[in-house]
Amino acid sequence: MSVPDTVHSLWTVAASSTTQTIPTPHIEYGQLSPMLAVFGAAALGILAEAFLPRRNRYWAQIGIAMAGLVGAFVAVVVLAAQGYAGTKAHLAAMGAVAVDGPSLFLQGTIVLIAVVSVLGFAERHLEPRSSTGAPVDAFAPQAATVPGSDAEKSAARSGFATTEVFPLTMFAVGGMLLFPAASDLLTMFVALEVFSLPLYLLCALARRRRLLSQEAAVKYFLLGAFSSAFFLFGLALIYGYAGTVSIGGIADVVSGTATPTPALANTTANDALLLIGLAMLGVGLLFKVGAVPFHAWTPDVYQGAPTPVTGFMASATKVAAFGATLRLLYAAFPGVTWDWRPVLWGVAILTMVVGAIIAVTQTDVKRLLAYSSIAHAGFILTGVIAMNKAGVSAVLFYLGAYSFVTLGAFAVVTLVRDAGGEATHLSRWAGLGRRSPLVAATFALFLLAFAGIPLTSGFAGKFAVFQAAASSGATPLVIVGVLSSAVAAFFYIRVIVLMFFSDPRPDGPTVAVPSAFTATAIALGVLVTLGLGILPQYFLHLADQASVFVR
Amino acid sequence: MNPVNYLYLAALLFTIGATGVLVRRNAIVLFMCVELMLNASNLALVTFSRLHGNLDGQIIAFFTMVVAAAEVVVGLAIIVSVFRTRHSASVDDTNLMKL
Amino acid sequence: MSSFPLLTVAAALPAVGAVLTAALPAATSAKRRDINKTLPLGISVLTLVLAAVVAIRFKPGGARYQMTEHHSWISDFGIGYSLGVDGIAVVLILLTAVLVPVVMLASWHDADPVANDAGTFERNRRTQGFFALILAVEAMVVLSFEATDVFLFYVFFEAMLIPMYFLIGGFGDRTVGEDARQRSYAAVKFLLYNLLGGLIMLAAVIGLYVITAKQGIGTDGHGTFDLSTITQALASGKLHFSPVAEKALFLGFMFAFAVKAPLWPLHTWLPNAMGEATPGVAVLITAVVDKVGTYAMLRFCLQLFPDASKTFGPAILVLSLIGIIYGALLAVGQKDIKRLIAYASISHFGFIIMGIFAMTSQGQAGATLYMVNHGISTAALLLVAGFLMSRRGSRLIADYGGVQKVAPVLAGTFMIGGLATLSLPGLAPFVSEFLVLVGTFTRYPAIGIVATIGIVLAALYVLVLYQRTMTGPVKPEVSGFRDLHARELVVVTPLIALLLFLGVYPKPVSDIVNPAVRDTMSDVHRTDPAPAHPITAAQVAATNSQGGGQ
Repeated sequence: MSVPDTVHSLWTVAASSTTQTIPTPHIEYGQLSPMLAVFGAAALGILAEAFLPRRNRYWAQIGIAMAGLVGAFVAVVVLAAQGYAGTKAHLAAMGAVAVDGPSLFLQGTIVLIAVVSVLGFAERHLEPRSSTGAPVDAFAPQAATVPGSDAEKSAARSGFATTEVFPLTMFAVGGMLLFPAASDLLTMFVALEVFSLPLYLLCALARRRRLLSQEAAVKYFLLGAFSSAFFLFGLALIYGYAGTVSIGGIADVVSGTATPTPALANTTANDALLLIGLAMLGVGLLFKVGAVPFHAWTPDVYQGAPTPVTGFMASATKVAAFGATLRLLYAAFPGVTWDWRPVLWGVAILTMVVGAIIAVTQTDVKRLLAYSSIAHAGFILTGVIAMNKAGVSAVLFYLGAYSFVTLGAFAVVTLVRDAGGEATHLSRWAGLGRRSPLVAATFALFLLAFAGIPLTSGFAGKFAVFQAAASSGATPLVIVGVLSSAVAAFFYIRVIVLMFFSDPRPDGPTVAVPSAFTATAIALGVLVTLGLGILPQYFLHLADQASVFVR
Repeated sequence: MNPVNYLYLAALLFTIGATGVLVRRNAIVLFMCVELMLNASNLALVTFSRLHGNLDGQIIAFFTMVVAAAEVVVGLAIIVSVFRTRHSASVDDTNLMKL
Repeated sequence: MSSFPLLTVAAALPAVGAVLTAALPAATSAKRRDINKTLPLGISVLTLVLAAVVAIRFKPGGARYQMTEHHSWISDFGIGYSLGVDGIAVVLILLTAVLVPVVMLASWHDADPVANDAGTFERNRRTQGFFALILAVEAMVVLSFEATDVFLFYVFFEAMLIPMYFLIGGFGDRTVGEDARQRSYAAVKFLLYNLLGGLIMLAAVIGLYVITAKQGIGTDGHGTFDLSTITQALASGKLHFSPVAEKALFLGFMFAFAVKAPLWPLHTWLPNAMGEATPGVAVLITAVVDKVGTYAMLRFCLQLFPDASKTFGPAILVLSLIGIIYGALLAVGQKDIKRLIAYASISHFGFIIMGIFAMTSQGQAGATLYMVNHGISTAALLLVAGFLMSRRGSRLIADYGGVQKVAPVLAGTFMIGGLATLSLPGLAPFVSEFLVLVGTFTRYPAIGIVATIGIVLAALYVLVLYQRTMTGPVKPEVSGFRDLHARELVVVTPLIALLLFLGVYPKPVSDIVNPAVRDTMSDVHRTDPAPAHPITAAQVAATNSQGGGQ
């Protein structure tokens, strides 16, 4: 690729026009209010952490976080009611943020997930109280102390608590709200990092089994940073190809409708830039959704992270990352569908099959749920591949349905405990149905929803994505999906068998009685699972109305 | 000089970084390799900015630097806390969880 | 037709009953336990009354689907809550409603808690859970029979697996020695076979939807699942399947139904499940739940995919023929009473499926009657066998002998159940088996002739079973047997009465069934081959009632 002189002259002209003034950016604060509310709450949380006395922080942080999330949800609903999800959809903040149906739908979902997650983070009834009688949560008393050291013991004795988790969560939520709404690749990259960095830290904060937790954080961080580097290099290549990073601009260049410039004529002649760039962006996103072959981190991180954080990560990250994937593929790169679709076919098939088959061999509940989340990423990908409006609405619906099942399932995992903390080894769950029928039945319901049994939300979601895929002609994908559902059903059923038909062990775990926080979280999970299973029409319709991207 | 050569350099740096992440075992070195990849991206962005004659790429490079700095803060915090626990920064030692 | 949602109420009553039963406070004494069991029994009797009302209000020869209800459910996918019954559904709902209270009464003590060493009982809801699950199964089975929306049917077809799974896996036949591992193996095998079938059917259901959506059958661009809309569109040529698509969809549906029914070679879960379940649950499996499979072949496979049904008909006939012979042969060789009955059922299901795919009106009328009669006769045989086994605590045939001397009523009822199973003329199954064979013979003489071997083998396994257990010298362990007591008599009497009544006078059932069969036949565009000696169900019934009791 040689550079013609015209480009140099272009450059010279651009550089010499120094008299131009940069216009003040025009920011639509109202339309960005969901994100602003959450980031505001996060900043306030940091201030509270700095200035409030330790004993007041817990309730203050919960209050701030909840206020921010409720405010964000109200903002989303108001924006949707004003028609921003439909006719008034447009680009805000100088084209950096799309305020449209998919954005608002996913932002609403993420905020609700965050509400339930914050309830889980706030749980202080499960761990035995500290020696001074202070209630204790699921996080390390002081993250900086070395596990097993005197410093840690004295921190635990004084009843310290890592209340920083709330502002960290709020920053992560803010990034997640921005990620699916980002309308240029730079905003998308920044959002990716804004939600990833707090998650790396949250992973390292478990109170019990801190070595596992730190190990999970290191793995997640190194692989996460590795994948973001791929995303960034992909961004650079796409910028090189299209000369712009805005979603609409890329789409124009890719489909050949952009105003041709000599530089563009030169770079767009080189399809390698486009294809390699898209592939690298895809690596970054597929890593976040946990699709095979970029799934290796999922089981370790899910197992090591504190369980409430795992639930949050498994649901919210997936929602945000699939949202961004949809926007990228549907709004920026529809012009090269025929290039990326075969690759995604392969990824989806691999993800479904590998996730389902490896899950069969798992012996740890959290790892099992991790592999199940990989298999579900595959199911969602079949909806993404559909490349039609039904595909978008199906994916949106599936994400909402799936995330509440996941939250509920991980919340149940926090309840089953023995002396060493949570009893996550599957053999310890034997006979749980005899000992605590209600908890076991709730978990069984979530497992049945994962398996996609009719009258649960999992079935409605699976039906929606498979139907979208089938109507776009991807029948083989649907058949692979159905077969791997059968395999997946096997291991969910295995857990149910274990809980109900095995004899309880004499030294088996006990089921802790949670506070109202976790109880609410689980109840919400059950409610959404059954509600979206039996009466999905309203939400399907909502997702259908919200399925048009603006660019 | 033809600016395309900078792209070759960027690609080379990125490849070195990626290879380093895959073959090296020390968490700090791994992390430095990731930084190398980010900087390779910066170089590519700046070069493309020159090729296209617009400033977007250079602005993105600034953003990348800020993001990379934040990443260093978080990453070093995690790696240091693991190091203090285990007195080792080798990623081969962090193997409590296996399939 | 009034707007009273009779069909919904008939299905909702057991569903609500299941919830109520599960919510009752746990029993603290045997007396409280009986109260907890009386509620579900009462509800199942009320359901029977409702089912009878449905049957009485059903007008044979009237509209094809009666007492219809239509509500939009998931309009984005063209899914409606559409109910309606034709003659076939009416008799099967009635069969279900009759069998459930009988099964409950027969299993009265099957789920009672076992006293521990201290002589006290663990206080829990296990017992009432058993009855709540039976009611849940009843609700889902009734809804599957009533559904005239493919998706609605699919939902309940799949969902009924869950309560059945807990019934099989959670409540073993403790009278014959429990083995928890065997039992959960049987339950998992049952679930996985049926779930796999169901998921493959799901792919076909989605395919059906996509095709209807593409050809604009539903409203505003969505597809539809409404059975009558689809069949009408098929008949008028508005909807057209490509041959490949039709065959694929047919196989997808048929696979699920063939697992459920079960058709050889997909039958292997049935002997395990029936062997490990309590006799009452075994009756639920073979007489109630499996009937949904054969019913669905008649209702969905034939109506939705008439051409593919014709293409694959002969192949399915051959499979069913293998099933008839294979099931009967294995039944002859069984040492275990319950597994013997299970293999006999596989043979009978072969007959039912053969009747359906022979594509003659006698065959299909016979198959429908067969579903009813097989339900009653197997229930009678299995429940009496259950009473027998509960006295000895063994399910091996070799452990019995000479029972008829100590417990003549038990032996007599066992005899009647057995004779019904081998289709003795004068008992209900004879009519249906005869019709199936005639119906098959008129179109496929060779298959009809070979299938008669199944009858000979049936005589063999039933009579050998009777001879080994009931006749001969009285074994010492058997000598203390009580004869049937009051509760057991209440269970057996209605079944035997029905067997005798329908044996000499099947007209009430065949009158309801025949118009529906004619409709189905016209859906598949098939007319009966003109036989040398035309014969109809009514004539068979007439001949049978004259010559009954030979």
